[in-house]
Amino acid sequence: MDFRLKVNFKKSFIDLITSLIFVFKNFFGLIFFPYKTLRRLSFEKDYYQSFFIFFLIFCYFKFVYFLKDKPYPATFNFLVFFANFFLTLLFFYYLSLILNKKRKDISFLSLFFTFSYSLFPTLIWFGSVSFLYIILPPPRTTSTLGIFFSIFFLAYSFSLLAWKLILVFLSLRFSLKLNFYQIIYLLILYLLWFLPYSIILYRFKIFKIPFI
Amino acid sequence: MKTVNYQLKRKLNEIFIVEPNDLGMRFLTLGYKFLVRYLKTAPFLIIVPFSFLLGYLLYLFFGFLIVRLVTLLQYGF
Repeated sequence: MDFRLKVNFKKSFIDLITSLIFVFKNFFGLIFFPYKTLRRLSFEKDYYQSFFIFFLIFCYFKFVYFLKDKPYPATFNFLVFFANFFLTLLFFYYLSLILNKKRKDISFLSLFFTFSYSLFPTLIWFGSVSFLYIILPPPRTTSTLGIFFSIFFLAYSFSLLAWKLILVFLSLRFSLKLNFYQIIYLLILYLLWFLPYSIILYRFKIFKIPFI
Repeated sequence: MKTVNYQLKRKLNEIFIVEPNDLGMRFLTLGYKFLVRYLKTAPFLIIVPFSFLLGYLLYLFFGFLIVRLVTLLQYGF
């Protein structure tokens, strides 16, 4: 009997490169056409794309480990983030099963996929802030330049927050087939437990601002 | 022809994945559709100017406290 593992490395490599190209294509789609892109992504099944997004997040945690004072290991932070991410998905998924009568239309994997793409604004904000920490470290001053920079930074943060909210809303809309009121209701319920949980994470110095 | 039909069916299934939102009252639904129209395509064209306006309004309202807020946010990663 022949038990040799037959792995087609060439095909796997091509699949990985193709998925990476799709990640870039979808990233620009989320900037210019978030509605159509997330609607299409809710049908997607190429999980290599999610792997790349989580790999980028892992690289961010590795990078930030060297900037912090007495940090936890990067792998630990990544695992905590991953646990938070799954807790969030499970929360929305199981509550949507209660709210939505058409249960067979709801897919956890579709939610996982669309929600992983909604991590892009979070990754960009955290990545850019950690990069700014190197080139323009705080504190900011009350000089004219300091105020201009403060207004610019707040505008930048609000823009990314708005983008994040749009992507989360569309993820819930297309993956869980919820209407406007159901999504707002779920988001309020989510914040009711996530905000105290974030304070606990802050107290333990794991995340000052939750990475979600 | 079969390919065109298949792609058309797939596109229609994708477009009608969810029912259109109905907020219960007609003026709410119309207001929602009016706002959302600008956020479906290139939302940054609306969001970025509004964010700068919001940042400026925060400065007018809170003054130099926004500098402290930004300092806190810069430590937030």
